[in-house]
Amino acid sequence: MEAVLLPVGAEVYAVPMESVREVVADPLITTLATAPRLVLGLFNLRGQIVPLFDTAALLGIGAVGAVNFAVVLQTPHGLAALAATGLPQRVLLETMTGVSELPGTIGAYRLGRRVAVLLDLAALLTPGSPGGRDRDVALPEGPG
Amino acid sequence: MAALTVQQIQTLFGQEAEARLTRLNQLLLELEGAAQDEGLIRSVFREFHSLKGSSAVAGLDEVSLLAHELEGLVEDLRCGRRQVTPDVIDRLLAGVDRLGVVIAGSSGDGGDVGTVPPRIVITEAAPHREAHSTVGVTSPQRGGPARSLIPATPPVPTRHPPLGTPRADATDAAAGGAVMVQMERLDELVGLLGEAAAAHLRVGRMLKDRFGVDPASCAEFNELSRSVNVLQDRVMRTRMVPVGTITDQLHRAVRDIARTQGKDIRWQVEGSDTEMDRGVLNQLSDSLLHLVRNAVDHGIESPDERAGNKAAQGTIRLHARQLGSEVIIAVSDDGRGINTQLVRERATRLGIDTADLSGDETLQLIFRSGLSTTAFVTDVSGRGVGLDVVKTNIEAARGRIEIHSELGSGTEFRIVVPITLAVLRCLVVEAGGHRFALPFHRVVLSQAHDPSRVTEADGRAMVWVDDQPVTVSTLVHTLGISDNGPSVGPIVVLTDTARRHAFQVDRLVGQRDVVLKGLSRLLPHLPAVAGASIEPDGSIFVVLDPPGLIGRARQLKRAIVPPPRPDSRHGPRRRILVVDDALTVRELQRSILQRAGFDVRVAIDGLQALSKLADEPVDLVLTDIEMPNMDGFALTTAIRAHSTLSNIPVLILSSRSSEADRQRGLDVGADGYIIKSGFDESDLLAAVNRLLGATA
Repeated sequence: MEAVLLPVGAEVYAVPMESVREVVADPLITTLATAPRLVLGLFNLRGQIVPLFDTAALLGIGAVGAVNFAVVLQTPHGLAALAATGLPQRVLLETMTGVSELPGTIGAYRLGRRVAVLLDLAALLTPGSPGGRDRDVALPEGPG
Repeated sequence: MAALTVQQIQTLFGQEAEARLTRLNQLLLELEGAAQDEGLIRSVFREFHSLKGSSAVAGLDEVSLLAHELEGLVEDLRCGRRQVTPDVIDRLLAGVDRLGVVIAGSSGDGGDVGTVPPRIVITEAAPHREAHSTVGVTSPQRGGPARSLIPATPPVPTRHPPLGTPRADATDAAAGGAVMVQMERLDELVGLLGEAAAAHLRVGRMLKDRFGVDPASCAEFNELSRSVNVLQDRVMRTRMVPVGTITDQLHRAVRDIARTQGKDIRWQVEGSDTEMDRGVLNQLSDSLLHLVRNAVDHGIESPDERAGNKAAQGTIRLHARQLGSEVIIAVSDDGRGINTQLVRERATRLGIDTADLSGDETLQLIFRSGLSTTAFVTDVSGRGVGLDVVKTNIEAARGRIEIHSELGSGTEFRIVVPITLAVLRCLVVEAGGHRFALPFHRVVLSQAHDPSRVTEADGRAMVWVDDQPVTVSTLVHTLGISDNGPSVGPIVVLTDTARRHAFQVDRLVGQRDVVLKGLSRLLPHLPAVAGASIEPDGSIFVVLDPPGLIGRARQLKRAIVPPPRPDSRHGPRRRILVVDDALTVRELQRSILQRAGFDVRVAIDGLQALSKLADEPVDLVLTDIEMPNMDGFALTTAIRAHSTLSNIPVLILSSRSSEADRQRGLDVGADGYIIKSGFDESDLLAAVNRLLGATA
């Protein structure tokens, strides 16, 4: 299957090509106050306001740190974007080489000497509770 | 062309009948006040006659028969065999109601007339009708001889059609050339136009970034800009309907209840041609109905009570007018007024401390849940809801309601709403390096953070606002964003339906009309965020939701706001004297200026203004021209001639738009002249700030 690779730090994840609308380099992100950590913010895609999610936080493996690229996805619930730290590339994923353990993933594919984990977008991006975790909006602590 | 099916014919008839029944209601109410008007009688006859014919074509025999009987009754009037009396009007109105019920039960699509998709009539000439009419004093005659289909009893007040949808007068509109348009098509147009406008801005940016062309120097781009702006204006206007589209139904409610209660009431409408967004008017209609029913039921006294003290005939007045980007609709009566002592007693019984409340503050209590329903609701006026619901509904339309009442003289409710919901006027603030928009209708005022006004109670910091303690939080802490140390910025006081809460921000940026966009459904629900908006430069700012923000602040761990450092940038509040004899204008200006952080005094004419200035000078005078005792020109002349007041800036705000008046204003020494018809909040504040030498 055709896919787009999302480098996240030292790891590589993949999303089906048919879900990808475009890739935006260095998006200008507006912080969304009171949103949970997995929401990095909002950016303007030619007049549409698109939420940008922290791919690592969605998977529960930390945070992406710098956002160099946003992979814009067309979901049944509108546009959404996943953060990537390196240049997303188009590849052909062939035989699945193993299962993946992280929730929100489908399986692992071999890419030369590397392994790409295919994301389950329907499970990761659900209305009202992206990632299925960390959905609660934490209240900040007062200074005192 | 294929012939229409019976169902299609009946659906068409449903649409036609809706317009004709609305028209009949209007005509009959007019006829009651002009019984000898043969033209009106002929018009009523024509409407029934047309309904009879159309319903027969649609195969609705029961409707046709009923219309025929009503037509016969009007024929008696036309030939002089019967006189126009309140009883006859009762029967005809009841017949119209009955027709509505029968048609609703027999429409071809299985639904009723009310289920026809909402639509709007676009016409070049808005109906303009100033209504003055009188409701009969005699008690209704019940139980008269019944005819087969026409009810002989007067209409029961609670039975007439609900006000849910403002209706357009199809007959009037047809004369001006009109076409029915489904509301969702207009909504779609507004949405598409918003996208086109955004794309237009992007093209301008692209011209500059990629080709190094200044879009302002490109004739084609400027032409496109003009066209997009005009198109936006015109499309917005298609959504506008005159207030008059619902006043007939209000008139009907007043008339029916007055007849039932044996009261003699004059119904007066001014400004019925004032236009506003159909959606806003729709949201207000039930509240207005509630207020006029309240006025008849509780406001206007019985004829016995009025005897000797007042004119026998009571008056209920609806006055609509546009002021800047808002529409003000006042419903007033010359009845008994609200007894604040009674309100205090009832509030005390509910455990509310009223000891320190002023008269005005006591009046505000009637909008509280519980109090409003126990004290001011009956089956007639309240329909089970209280003024708290009215207030909530008006706030949902981004508006506010004010009340003024004088015992023995009457009560006025004043509803102030934005003309349209398509754009949201916001106060833009900066906090923690981010910009946020706060919907203006939730902003009570903004003011410098004055340390002397801060106190601590119940583990929270409080500031004094209008002599009431209000909890204050910092916006950055409430939103959980990092800050740059203790802020010395101003405080913005926000309100939800029940509470006020102050938020300290880093600075006020200004006002902005915002096209609010909802956030992605993929995001979790964020109660403190209403949506976001895209700036012309493509950046995004977040629009906060004050009720959610207040709720979030109250959940926060209690923490005292650090006292601000003294800062020379924030001096005492600037004082402005507003001089206008019109209460509505005066209060609106006071509201705008107070929200912008000014300390506002008011005077009702030039003489009173001079007296107040002698007691306490101000930093600026904002005055109308036409006023009793001393007009604005004379006031300005007097200020300029005064030894100690002569340097106070004077800004004239007048409905006089001639160049001669403007010149005269400048000649007598005014520093600025704003015309009321084109008056805009931001223009006013910009002019005030300019004259005060303030920076945003």
